Amino acid sequence: MRTRLKAFAIILLSAVFVLGLAACGGGKSNGNGESAGGSGNTAQSGDSGSGETVEIRFTWWGDTARNDLYNAIVDRFEEEYPHIKVKREFGGWADYWDRLATQSAGGNAPDVVSMHQFYVADYAARGALLDLQTVIDSGELDVSLFPEAALDSGRVNGTLVMIPKGITMPGWVYHTATLDKLGIAYPDINWTYDDLIAISRQVVEKSGGTMWGTPDMGGGQLQPNFRYFVRQNGEDLYTEDGKLGFSRDTLVKWWSMWKQMRDEKLIPDAATSAEYDGVPLEQNLFVTGKVALYQIPANQIYLYEQQFPEGEIHMVRMPSLPGGQNGEYLEGAYLSITAQSKHPKEAALFINFFVNSERSLELFKVEQGSPANTDMAEFVKPLLAAPQARAVDFIQTVIPYATSAAYAPAGATEVEAAFKDNATAIAFGQKTVEQAADDFLAAANRILGQ
Amino acid sequence: MNPKLINVLKRNAVGYLFLSPWLLGLIGLSALPILASLYFSFTRYDMLTAPDWIGLDNYREMLLNDQKWRNSLKVTLIYVLLGVPLQLVFALSIALMLNRGIRGLRIYRAIYYVPSLFGGSVAVALLWRQLFGGEGLVNLLLRQIGLPGHNWIASPDTALYTLIVLKIWQFGAPMVIFLAALKQVPTELYEASRIDGAGRWKQFWRITLPLITPIVFFNVVMQTIQAFQAFTPAYIVSRGTGGPLDSTLFYTLYLYQKGFTHFQMGYAASMAWVLLIVIAFVTAMLFLSARKWVYYQE
Repeated sequence: MRTRLKAFAIILLSAVFVLGLAACGGGKSNGNGESAGGSGNTAQSGDSGSGETVEIRFTWWGDTARNDLYNAIVDRFEEEYPHIKVKREFGGWADYWDRLATQSAGGNAPDVVSMHQFYVADYAARGALLDLQTVIDSGELDVSLFPEAALDSGRVNGTLVMIPKGITMPGWVYHTATLDKLGIAYPDINWTYDDLIAISRQVVEKSGGTMWGTPDMGGGQLQPNFRYFVRQNGEDLYTEDGKLGFSRDTLVKWWSMWKQMRDEKLIPDAATSAEYDGVPLEQNLFVTGKVALYQIPANQIYLYEQQFPEGEIHMVRMPSLPGGQNGEYLEGAYLSITAQSKHPKEAALFINFFVNSERSLELFKVEQGSPANTDMAEFVKPLLAAPQARAVDFIQTVIPYATSAAYAPAGATEVEAAFKDNATAIAFGQKTVEQAADDFLAAANRILGQ
Repeated sequence: MNPKLINVLKRNAVGYLFLSPWLLGLIGLSALPILASLYFSFTRYDMLTAPDWIGLDNYREMLLNDQKWRNSLKVTLIYVLLGVPLQLVFALSIALMLNRGIRGLRIYRAIYYVPSLFGGSVAVALLWRQLFGGEGLVNLLLRQIGLPGHNWIASPDTALYTLIVLKIWQFGAPMVIFLAALKQVPTELYEASRIDGAGRWKQFWRITLPLITPIVFFNVVMQTIQAFQAFTPAYIVSRGTGGPLDSTLFYTLYLYQKGFTHFQMGYAASMAWVLLIVIAFVTAMLFLSARKWVYYQE
């Protein structure tokens, strides 16, 4: 009897230890993955039977203001659909993509994910996104008020994998009060690269060297700046079959232009550029008054205007190339459903609410671009503050110039890293423009050739 | 079954039962992931689709073609070769100072140890950005005494050294261990040598240092292994880029970029295994060399 009691006690004890250990393990992964904790619940809540509560997860990138806004939209959705609970996950742009990649790999990606043109091919090509036609056919998602061009921008290889939350276009901005103070005329909406250089010269001159014309936009991300330039030259970043789409000549012209501006001290030196690389909006070169011209997407105009006590933020088109083509192509922020989602119907209902209902758009307005649903675009117009209305005007002015654009192939992030590395090497004087161009092309062809 | 064997199993069952939490942890949280990583290192694996067996291709690509990999190894070696010795010399000097029987030793010891507690923390790395940035405190002081400022963090020729300084600054852990070792040195040796006319300098070289070589060795091994795996400082200070111009692209940071930014988890896994081999080799060399310079009293 006694030995049996002992054995029982031992088993009990070890069971307690094992449980404790499992709890530790769980805690650890929570700490690292932040939001990994929610993953188990989704699976347990089972099939979406009628009346039963279903939990879906929704994730987005953005700053604090956007997080508050999206939380409010999600709250309204939960009011409308009491049987669906939405868990929210969010983070800054760079962290967002790292986390999404990890979650997808671990098989616990959220049901509804925010998507972007630059990354969609990576996910779509690997079968990670649901074909949205299935939920359109079954009636959860209504896209009847979306223009064909907007839907088309969400198709990869003919499959609709994402729905635009908002359509936006990039452009260059200036702060009216700053240019007024310097006594410089505002640029024309159809300005050119020569105008960009000329205005930069005036800025440096009239500010007595305390300001630069623009940040160094020669490197960094491949789009929009460099991409507009290659498209104006009749090329594109990539071909439809996923090869590099532009010539060495175009690349040399681009980097030479920025090198000339750097040599003339119209843009910051390499070290200053490196220091400001990736800083948050409040600390960047434009907001802190160190440069007079800046490139942003139109939907962010109001965020920038908030940073200045007086004056307005005005936007002009991306600089054009005399005799060249239009660089414009549709851009925006999108919503996708992951292929792993256990509740695609509920996820589709959520997207439908997000992009088609007045209750949602009343809050969203033009947060990540002008609504693609034409009725909703009209609905939000009277709700807009002045800078937001300016953004919508700009987007509508520029959209007619837009032509289709090939999606980035898998490996695009690595090509971009090579582009950035070589541009930085020129800036620090470690490579000539020609050397850097050769090195970049060799690297990019190797990456895409695989 | 052999009744003897059953007996042995019965006798040990309780022991294994008690071990089971740890055993499960070892197998589930360490052994299996390690084996999985070994397997992935021979595949092309983008984390979203099934891994694709490619044999030694990852290793071949890394060793033969990857310039960035070579550079990251170089950056890491410089960091280890400069950071570890300087940090230990610094730690030992502070320990020697504190060991001279000053009042309030406990307080000083605690204060000097604090930076190590913050060791790999994000906050300290952020602080470093501020300190060595273009408008940072360091430049402010330099300008005060009339020297030109320099953008320490954002220039490729100095960025790595700011990280080495950060490493040196976190000398607390080895210092505390040195301090304990110094207390173990018998005082009669010092008394005897003083009578024989040895000065402080000679005492240090002839008595102190030889007697604490086992601890020096311990610190060298631990800090070297740690330095090879450093990640947070470079990640935060360069905002995840390893820039400017890859000058702070630590091995682990490049590994992270490959795996999580470029979707090449197979390649990242093979990098991890090469790093393991490098660390094992360096550690083995240290142990071999220890026969020549580490002095155990027995």
